[in-house]
Amino acid sequence: MHFLRFSVRQALQGLWRNSVMTFAATFTMILMLILLAALVIVIAGVEAGLEYVESRVEVRAELHDGLLEERVAEFQGELQARTDVATITYVSKEEALERFTDQRAEQGQTDIASAYAGFNPFNAYYAIELRDPRQSRALISVLEDETALVTRVLGQQSGIDRLVELTAQLRNLGFIVLSFVALTVLLIVVNSIRMALMARAQEIDIMRLVGASDRYVRWPFILEGVFIGLAGAMVTLLLLLIASPAISDIASDIAGSVPLGFDSSLTLQIVLISLGAGIGLGGLGAWISVRTYLR
Amino acid sequence: MSDAVSRAVAGPPPGTPWSDQAPAPEAPGQPQPGAPTPGQPLLPPEQHDSVRLAGVSKTYGTGKEALIDVDLVIPEGDFVFLVGPSGAGKSTLTKLLVRDEKATAGSVAVAGHDLGRMKKKEVPLLRRKIGIVFQDFRLLPRKTVYENVAFALEVTGTSKRLMEPAVERALALVGLTEQARQRPSQLSGGEMQRTAIARAMVHDPRLIIADEPTGNLDPLISWEIIQLLLRINEMGTTVLMATHDAEVVTALRRRVVALEDGRVVRDEVGGYHREY
Repeated sequence: MHFLRFSVRQALQGLWRNSVMTFAATFTMILMLILLAALVIVIAGVEAGLEYVESRVEVRAELHDGLLEERVAEFQGELQARTDVATITYVSKEEALERFTDQRAEQGQTDIASAYAGFNPFNAYYAIELRDPRQSRALISVLEDETALVTRVLGQQSGIDRLVELTAQLRNLGFIVLSFVALTVLLIVVNSIRMALMARAQEIDIMRLVGASDRYVRWPFILEGVFIGLAGAMVTLLLLLIASPAISDIASDIAGSVPLGFDSSLTLQIVLISLGAGIGLGGLGAWISVRTYLR
Repeated sequence: MSDAVSRAVAGPPPGTPWSDQAPAPEAPGQPQPGAPTPGQPLLPPEQHDSVRLAGVSKTYGTGKEALIDVDLVIPEGDFVFLVGPSGAGKSTLTKLLVRDEKATAGSVAVAGHDLGRMKKKEVPLLRRKIGIVFQDFRLLPRKTVYENVAFALEVTGTSKRLMEPAVERALALVGLTEQARQRPSQLSGGEMQRTAIARAMVHDPRLIIADEPTGNLDPLISWEIIQLLLRINEMGTTVLMATHDAEVVTALRRRVVALEDGRVVRDEVGGYHREY
């Protein structure tokens, strides 16, 4: 308790006396944490969007015209029995046209129905929802083999694959940029603590002289680094709190009706990541400095 | 004290310094009349010597031989002058005693601890048994006299409850109770050195190492500091004082260990030392 009080007091005093360096270190820490939080938010948004899209992906198997109803129903039964199929809906040729014209009418093309009067280019199809939308390959190959019935299989796998890859690239790029920023922050913290050590060189000498144990010498400086990280994280979180309504607005503008999962679990995640990264990096920088410059 | 000091500065005849005030070394423990001794008990005698060096050599990484085959025994309660020209090895010797440096050869024992075998973690515990005083005082300018002395206890984890009486006792010992709230910049050189001595004494050390404690002080003030160290010695603490001050050493007729080029060239009780 005495040790803790001593260390905290020494650390705060050190930060105060070396205020320019403290400010520089805290400020860069804030910049890094904002970048980090932004990356977390964007990735969370993209992933939530992706998940939403994936969950709504259906495999559509278009059928030849003029098939026997029994044959169609039989194959539907076979597909329904598969373990990877959740639901299967038969959409007839007429229903397909109707769905198409309804959709267009919703988008403002009210005269679309008359354009298709007496003309139906659509095939009847099975709309198949999968238990796991990411595992569609097996089903697709079964459908494609059934050439007597199926004329075309529409999966959206390739589109999703591209999105997944894009997310991965975004993540990689983010981490590369973040690594450089984190390295800069680390060096600034190391330097800041080194200056604090130099400012207290005489005090450290005296402490050793009178028999202070190592933890009394070292921990105040490590705490200085931790406090820089803590202050950076607090300011970052405060800024995010203030900006969060604006961020939500922008996000929902971009995403439209897609839910982005900006909920309390993301908030908790950002709080923990910011605090962890700030305190961890501050403490690490201080520790490096203490190890390097304190014999 | 001022009478004694002025007489001392005038040059006391060899063999009779302070004879009217300071008790002879054979009769330790009698507090000086009028001295601010807070009535603390004498330190109990210990089983071992305060300092024991056997065949100690120290060669630095640069190849410089700072000490060569030094044997030195300082019994508990002794008052020893360490003299010699600059570069003779005085500083190296004091560094060995506080385990700031390790001997290249031979054994160093302080207060019964073999410093060659001492673990790094135990060094702080050793240093709490040794009080160190330097020529340049080494006080913290932002702290008051009281805080400077208390600092030694604070950084060794002493509770506030135990701290206050110990600091007050140390300040009373050096006669700085009145100046407790002043900062070093408001003090005279002598007062600064007395603050440093109070800080060295606040742990109740068994050994005081004073490295040129009067080097920055004028003769009058130097005698004041010497007298304080003598009083501390009379209370049972061993004192090892490195000095260039021929007048002080000659006047006091104590044990003198002379170093030259890293070797002990003279070790005599009541000896004098040459002008370097």
